[in-house]
Amino acid sequence: MASLSLEGIQKIYPNGFHAVKDFNLEIADKEFIIFVGPSGCGKSTTLRMVAGLEDISGGTLKIDGKVMNDVEPKDRDIAMVFQNYALYPHMTVYDNMAFGLKLRKVPKDEIDRKVKEAARILDLDKLLDRKPKALSGGQRQRVAMGRAIVRNPKVFLMDEPLSNLDAKLRVQMRIEISKLHENLGATIIYVTHDQTEAMTLGTRIVVMKDGVVQQVDTPQNLYNTPCNLFVAGFIGSPQMNFLDAVCNVKGDDVTLTIGEHVLKVPGSKKKALIDGGYNGKTVVLGIRPEDVHDSEAFISNSPDSVITSTIKVYELLGAEVFLYFDVAGTQMTARVNPRTTLRTGDKAVFALDMEKIHIFDKETELTITN
Amino acid sequence: MDHTQELQKALQELRRITGIGLDVQAESEEETEQAVAQIRCLCTAYKEKYNKTDFLQSLLTGGIPSYDIHDRASRLHINVDERRVLFLLETKKMDETVTEILKSLFPSQTKTYLVPVSEKAAAILRPMRAAETADNVRAIARTIVDTMNTEALAHVRLAYSSIIGTLSDLPAAFQEASLALKVGKLFYSEQTVFPYNELGIGRLIYRLPFPLCENFLKEIFGEEIPESFDEDTTATINRFFQNNLNIAETSRQLHMHRNTLIYRLEQIQKRTGLDLRLFEDAMTFKVATMVINYLHAERNQ
Repeated sequence: MASLSLEGIQKIYPNGFHAVKDFNLEIADKEFIIFVGPSGCGKSTTLRMVAGLEDISGGTLKIDGKVMNDVEPKDRDIAMVFQNYALYPHMTVYDNMAFGLKLRKVPKDEIDRKVKEAARILDLDKLLDRKPKALSGGQRQRVAMGRAIVRNPKVFLMDEPLSNLDAKLRVQMRIEISKLHENLGATIIYVTHDQTEAMTLGTRIVVMKDGVVQQVDTPQNLYNTPCNLFVAGFIGSPQMNFLDAVCNVKGDDVTLTIGEHVLKVPGSKKKALIDGGYNGKTVVLGIRPEDVHDSEAFISNSPDSVITSTIKVYELLGAEVFLYFDVAGTQMTARVNPRTTLRTGDKAVFALDMEKIHIFDKETELTITN
Repeated sequence: MDHTQELQKALQELRRITGIGLDVQAESEEETEQAVAQIRCLCTAYKEKYNKTDFLQSLLTGGIPSYDIHDRASRLHINVDERRVLFLLETKKMDETVTEILKSLFPSQTKTYLVPVSEKAAAILRPMRAAETADNVRAIARTIVDTMNTEALAHVRLAYSSIIGTLSDLPAAFQEASLALKVGKLFYSEQTVFPYNELGIGRLIYRLPFPLCENFLKEIFGEEIPESFDEDTTATINRFFQNNLNIAETSRQLHMHRNTLIYRLEQIQKRTGLDLRLFEDAMTFKVATMVINYLHAERNQ
């Protein structure tokens, strides 16, 4: 398998559209790296540049230390799985998997060995004689994966491979792909717009927006310490709550005022606000729905972080309840225990876990406290 | 008398097309010439009667008169009246790999015809099933592109025509797909699939004669037509347009103070006389840059 290095990669199309800007990333051998971001953020373009399907306008791409900018895609030792995969309708599963190797004039016995090995890994051994129309959606997807595996490439490139599957199958296939990564020990670059997919699959995640890398980190770190407002809002479902708050510094005490609510900033966060000169300025307070508590015990222990509101919507999801309410004109979500007694229309008291809050500069949108 | 090069070529062509090998005994130069002419006639007649690809190739380029289409198509067992869509695929080189993949994607029983158009392009004439709509066509187009990317590791572009109901409309469909490919490559180079029905303003500009384009640019910019702006300016303008002329959002996305953005826009106004903060000027500028790109691309061809 292989390591990759992307140094200052740029993509500018002939019509002037600047799709990827100064993309820098080191990908270690056997890493499962995810490019995630909204549609049009440049993640697929970056993947296609790695594949050689798009010319690189600037910067250097290296695979195992060798510069690959001008190397033909077929000589890069990569395999791809894309969203709109097509199985050849008149061929069996075996032939579908063998087709690419036949085109490359690989000897028959080698093809046979590789196809059977891939079929074993993907649990397709018993389906090798079937035609695509006799397969389920998940099985078809596995055959598409098999076509990539038989090439035994240095790097797997996957562009939204699960997007055409229904929600249930997607979850199953996520597990399959995760297992596949373990079994193959392969370097995988995986593109998705689905943050759940990104969080569950990747060893590291690259969050992109408007052609610019926003943050590269482990799923845990992205969730706990987002570097800016975009990453904070993009990672996590339901998304983080954001409230405009005025920062007030009085001696050692720092408070955040949101409408009629005054919240005391804990010691771990206040230094950055004082040092950054935020006294009197409006900042953005971010808090995840699970850090907004309705339990009496938590509220009584956190008198300096209490907010009140009226529940607008009560949503029971079985293992958890989402409560939607407004604070100072902004909608908030709390993820609470299903045993909560709060219902739509109730006056509610919540306490924020102030150790878990995130504070962002309103203008630059960068984190102040992480 | 030995076979001339011309006769040998003709015999090879006959064998290639029909599988028939002939032994020609020509005693003089005149006889050889007659033999060559007769073999060529045989080839043409055979192609006309049995070769679907040749028929479709001629039909695409308008080489078959409309009164003849029905008759010849029937002889080749091609349905004349059937809903179809024409895809036009372009890649670096239509090599064996690309052709094999296309043949495997659309095996003969699907009644889809692959027609080589040039060294770099092939047309795919695919019948539409009763329930299939424009959305299905888009999905098929994406599938073709993705399959070419993954299996042939080849960068391809694909344009497609509107849906046609009869073979007589095929020349028009070919023109549509060809136009979509040209316009798409020119104005929407970041995309790989170009439907004829979604060419937007690019379609209009592509139809404009050069003198009209030049007069339009002179009217906007005077004698000094900006061939191109520097990278930063282009990025700023693109982002500003993508954000619907919203200064706050654009400056935030570009990590730039709003005053810096305003300064840049004012510099563009000084240079071009167009205030991009005004919708009308922004629209004029957008069209003008597309016209500049068009002229640039056409001159470089």
